[in-house]
This record gives sequence, C-alpha cells and structure tokens, in this order.
Amino acid sequence: MPGIGDFFDELLGVGGAGLLLSAYNRLGDIGERGSREMGELAETQLEQAAFRPYTVTSATGGRFGITQDPQTGQFQYGLTASPEEQAFQQRMFGGAGSFFESAQLDPALREEALFERIRATQRPDERMERLGLEERLAAQGRLGVRTAQFGGTPEQLAMERAQQDAIARARIGAMEQARAEQMQQVGLGQQFLGASYLPQTQLLSAITPGMTAAGAQQQAQMYGTGLFGEARATGLEALLGASLGQANLAGALGGGLLSGALGSNYSFDIPPVG
Amino acid sequence: MAQQLQSINLVAPAFKGVNTEDSPLAQDPSFAEIADNAVIDKRGRIAARKGHEVITTNKTALGTESIRAIREFRDEAGNNKIFSVGNNKILSGTTTLVDETPGGYTITADNWKMVDFNNNVYFFQRGYQPLVYSNSSGAVQTLSSISGAAGVTSAIYGNEVLAAYGRLWTADFTNNKSTIYWSDLLIGHDWSGGTSGSIDISKVWPDGYDEIVALAAHNGLLIIFGQHSIVVYQGAQAPATMALADTVAGIGCVDRDTVQYTGTDVIFLSHTGLRSFGRTIREKSMPISTLSKTITKDIIGLIQGESQFFRSLYSPEENFYLLTFVGQETTFCFDVRGVLEDGSFRVTRWPGSKFSAYERLANGTVYIGTIDGISEYKGYSDNGVKYRFKYFSPSLTFGDPSRLKILKKIKPTLVGANSATVFMKFAYDFGTSFSTTEFTVGNQQPAFYNVNEFGANSNPLSEFTGGELTNQRSLNAVGSGTTVVVGLESDINGFALSLQEINLLALMGKTV
Repeated sequence: MPGIGDFFDELLGVGGAGLLLSAYNRLGDIGERGSREMGELAETQLEQAAFRPYTVTSATGGRFGITQDPQTGQFQYGLTASPEEQAFQQRMFGGAGSFFESAQLDPALREEALFERIRATQRPDERMERLGLEERLAAQGRLGVRTAQFGGTPEQLAMERAQQDAIARARIGAMEQARAEQMQQVGLGQQFLGASYLPQTQLLSAITPGMTAAGAQQQAQMYGTGLFGEARATGLEALLGASLGQANLAGALGGGLLSGALGSNYSFDIPPVG
Repeated sequence: MAQQLQSINLVAPAFKGVNTEDSPLAQDPSFAEIADNAVIDKRGRIAARKGHEVITTNKTALGTESIRAIREFRDEAGNNKIFSVGNNKILSGTTTLVDETPGGYTITADNWKMVDFNNNVYFFQRGYQPLVYSNSSGAVQTLSSISGAAGVTSAIYGNEVLAAYGRLWTADFTNNKSTIYWSDLLIGHDWSGGTSGSIDISKVWPDGYDEIVALAAHNGLLIIFGQHSIVVYQGAQAPATMALADTVAGIGCVDRDTVQYTGTDVIFLSHTGLRSFGRTIREKSMPISTLSKTITKDIIGLIQGESQFFRSLYSPEENFYLLTFVGQETTFCFDVRGVLEDGSFRVTRWPGSKFSAYERLANGTVYIGTIDGISEYKGYSDNGVKYRFKYFSPSLTFGDPSRLKILKKIKPTLVGANSATVFMKFAYDFGTSFSTTEFTVGNQQPAFYNVNEFGANSNPLSEFTGGELTNQRSLNAVGSGTTVVVGLESDINGFALSLQEINLLALMGKTV
C-alpha cells in the first residue's frame, strides 16, 4: 500500500508535472507575445518611418511638393512656378519661338531688306556725288563726253565704279549681316529658351535647402523610429527575458518536483531559455 | 601875183591798204580807196600782186570744173604727192590730173577737206564715207576698207576734220551739229575702240544753241568754232579729260576753209570780218576789233552774198592771208606783217580772181586751184592773161577842205612796170568821172650773164643791167575842186609794178 510517502510522492509528481506544463505553456505564450509585439513594433515603425509629403516654397513664390497617391501609394512631386515666373517663362518661350522662326526664314529676304537699308543710306551721298560730278563736268563742258575707253569721262567711270563697288560691298555686307543675324537669332532663341527654363532651374535650386531640411526631417524621423524600435525591442526583450526566467524557474521547479516524485532515477534537465 | 604851187607828197601811197570804212575826207592819205590786184610789197609799197602759172597740162579728169581743194601729202619716208578735188573726183598730180576716186564710190560734191595724219592723207566731206590714202597702199580707199577699221559709220561722216594731238577729230555732220568725234590715238581708222570718243557740246554753247563749223588746234587747245560762238577746250592731248577753258559768245566762224594757222595764232572769218583767235580770247571782255576793220561793210556784204564757198591761204613767204569768195570771184589779201593802229591788217583786193583752191607747199610755193587745173602763184600774169592793177587814193583835201585845189602836176614814181602803160587818173569833188593821162614806162632788158651780152651780129643787147627799173613822170593835170582823188591803173602783164610815191603839185584856190 501507497504510504504517505507515496502520497507525497504522488502529490509532488503531479505538482511538478503541472509546473512543467505551466512553464511549457508560458514559453509558448512568450513566443507568441514576442512575435506579436515585434509585429506590432514593425507596424508601428513602418508607420513611423513612412514618407511624409512635404512642400517647399522658394523666395520668389515657386513651390515644390511631394505627395503620395492615397490609392496607389505612388509618390508624385509637383513643381509650380510663381505667376511672375510663369509669365517670364512664357515670354521667354515666346521669344525663343520667334527667334527660331526668324532664323528659319529665307535669309535672302532679310538680305534684300538689309541691302535696301544700306543702299538707302548710300543713295543720298551717291546722288550728291553724281550731282557734284555733273556740275564739275558741266563747268568743264564735258557732260557730253563719251569714250570707248571709259564709256563717259574717267571721272564718271571712277564714280560709277566706286558706287558699284559700294553697292557690291553693300550686297556682301547684307549677305553677311543676314547670315550673322540668322545665327544671332539662333543664339538668341537658344538664350531665350534657356532663360525660359531659368525659373524652373532657379526654383529647383531654391528648393534644395528645403529638400535637405525635409531629408533631415526624414532622417530624424527615421532615427526616432530606430530609437523607438530599439527601445521597444529592448522592452520586449526584457519582458521576454523575464518571462523566460519565469518559465525557466517554473520549469526547473517543475523538473525538481518531478524528479523528487519519480526518484532519483529520473532527472529532468531543463535547459534555460534564452 | 603868182601863187606858189603847193606840193603834196603821197609817199608810199596806200601802204595802209584799202579803207572803205572811214570818211574819205578824214582819211589818212596812206590808205587807199581802191587797191585792186595789189599787195603790200617787201618795202611797204603798194604793188601789183603776182599772177599764176598753170602747171596742169592734162586736165581731162577735171573736165570743165574747177579745182576745189589742193593738198600736199607728205609722209615720213619722204614721199610727196599732190591731191586735189574737183569734178566730183579725187585727183592727184599737178601736170596731169589723175582720177584717184575709189571704184564704186560715188561723189556728187567737192567740198572735201584733206588732212595729213600719221603717214596718211584723209579726205572728209559731210555725208560721205571718209577716204584715205597712204603711200604703202598706193590708192585712195574708203576708210572702212582699211584693215582694223572700226566705228566708221555715218555718224563720223563729218564735214570738218582736224589732225591734232595724235588723233583725227571730225565734226559738222548731216544731222548732228554739236558733236565732235575723235579717233583712237594715232589710228585714223579706228573710231570706236582704244581711246576714241566723242563730246556733245550742245549744252556748252554760250548762246544756248549753235552749230559747229570748224575745228582748230592751237597751243594745247581744241578750238571749236560755231557759227556764232567759240568754245575752247584745254588739255585736248587727252580728250577724255579735256576741260572747257573758254567760251566766246557772238563771234563764230563763217566757214571751215577760212581757218588758217599763222604759227602764233589762228585766223578765221567771222560774220563781221576777219579775226584772230588769240586776240578774240584776249579781248572778249572788251570791244573786239577785227583784223578787217577797214573793210567791214565790204566783207560783210561779200559774206552775205556768197553762194558757193570760201577759200583761204596763209603764206608766211608772201606775208599774206588770202580770203577768197569763190562765188563772187573776189579775194582779199591781208598783209600779216603788221597791223594798223586799230589792229587791222593792211588789206588789198583782188577782184575777178577765179581762184577756187589754195595750198601752200612745204617749200613755201603757193598752189592755186582754178578751172585750168593747178597753178603756181608766180610771175606777173594770170597764166598769160594780163590783169589790172588799180590804185585810187581817198579824197584828198590838202589839209583845207574848204578851199579850191587846182592840180597842176602829178608826178608818180613807179618801180618796175617794164614797158607797161600806166593810166594816171584824177577827179574832183567825189566825182566818178576821172580825167586820165597815160604814159608808158620805159623798157629795161636785164642783162643775164652770157645771154644778152651778144645779140645778133655780135651787137650787145645789154651788157649791164640797170638794177630795179624806177620810173618817175611828171604829168600835167587840169581842173579844180575842193577834194581830189588820184588813181593809177596799169595792166600787169609780165612785170612787177610798185607805186613808190605820187607827188601832187596844186594851187590852193579860193574858199568855196
């Protein structure tokens, strides 16, 4: 018959097994809790580390902003020049277009126009020269001179030659000027075109400090999130460590009790958790 | 009481030539009222002109026409050829006139002007293609047929041609009276190449409009004679740059053929008389005198009455400028050795002179064109025909026009006039009915060496010549009047005659 000893032995055996089971169960809870808490921590950190839309406004009123599509989650950034800048941009665009259009015109037309303008400046002088020569020739009684060598008088030939040279030079000058102007139109078009992007460039330049500040904010956010995660993880580790300690203690107690109840032939070597 | 005869000596009478402009009463006795067929001789006396001896022996080509122009052509090779024109032909030669007219070239007028230029002689006449002769070609050719000819169009068929400053110049065209064309340098057949050219002076005439009559070159100037004005260009050596130097309004040239060069001046006939270009330019801002001031009205009348053409000649050897009104057969002979107080040349008149062309040869010989062909100005008969020398003084008053003069003696002194019959004439009070007394000048047979020393039967005709025959006569005169005109006439037929002086002896009568 089981004696009291047996009773105690039986009682200790059952209590040890219960402690072991309790420790076992607690370990499972700790794991689940750790998994859950870490998942919650990840969620929290993900939320905390999420990009926050921001807008940068330049001194001239240009704005740069990044937003996230709430449906698709895609990021979108927007760059908006100020009305003045937009007007300037439009003017520059328009000017560039005009210059490029001008550059595409037939240079012969411009050449002719330039030639006429040059000739318009030359004609009065030529007329004066012609009249002066006519007067001189009249005074010398030579208006009626016709020669095989010169056509008229040598002076008439010289004047005609000089005027024809001037006309030829005017023609060449007009051609060169037309070409130069064409190139100038191209250059101006390019300059205007470049200038038309200047507000944008300047806006981009102006928002760089803002973007840096946003980046710093993001970094700070990320750093805070890191610290939060670390602190939270440390708390969880401490909690898990304490739970493990409890589990280990319960496990060791249960194992001792069970060993006492089952004899020394049985030993329960429960490794500590953690 | 017997009154002393008053002697009035007309020394070298008419040595100032004819004067028909001044009042006879106020005239210097040194003038003549008439000096026909006379010249001023080497001693300043009035004398008979020379006659002409016809050289031409065969004038078949000339027919019954007169020689209209004569030209002595000379080239650098020493060739010499006499050209003349007449009977609508280009002629050459002197004894036998040879027709040189190019084949197929039709001529209907003889108003040619010929000039020597660069070893060629050129013939120009209005409306006709110019002709040219060179010794190398040996024939007169049309200008366009010359190799290298250019610009030979009707535009240059001028009536006037001038060879000067290395070019030919032509003007006076049928439809263009204000343009002058010049040829290329030294190329008389190139009128459109090289340095040839033209000048239209229609805007230069000082009177607005005129027509070119003649051209002349003098002292680097191109002188353009219009009918009523003169235009002068300087620097004509380079015609493209020649410039107007002067203009003279109101004085022009009557005819191309009256322009003559004297070496220091250019003489031409204007509508109011003979003029000197130099003096015209010099005096243009002053009252202009003419070289023919003593016969102004006569010469104007002849100019206006001339229906044919004018011919002129300057002969430094004979010291005269001859101006012939061919249609009126009258020639004025201007003595160019000096001028009178009023700037006029001494002038005499050759009436009835049927001279239609003149040319002074390089050796000084004067050729005369007539209906008989070419003559030489020499001798003292017109090809064997006598001509009459006339001298008539102006009305002489002996210093007192109010008193009656009673001529007693007329004592002419003549030089030469061998065997000539001389008619001394006198008339009173502007009468045209002259009293005449005649005498025959003595004969003097000159003794030429080895010619006249021995005559028939060894009788010497004349062993020594008495020198220049001088004949002094004393002729009685009759009648009376307040003014006296004395004249002398003599037919010149082989011998010269000079009037040395006329001494008049007269009684001064009452005042009337």
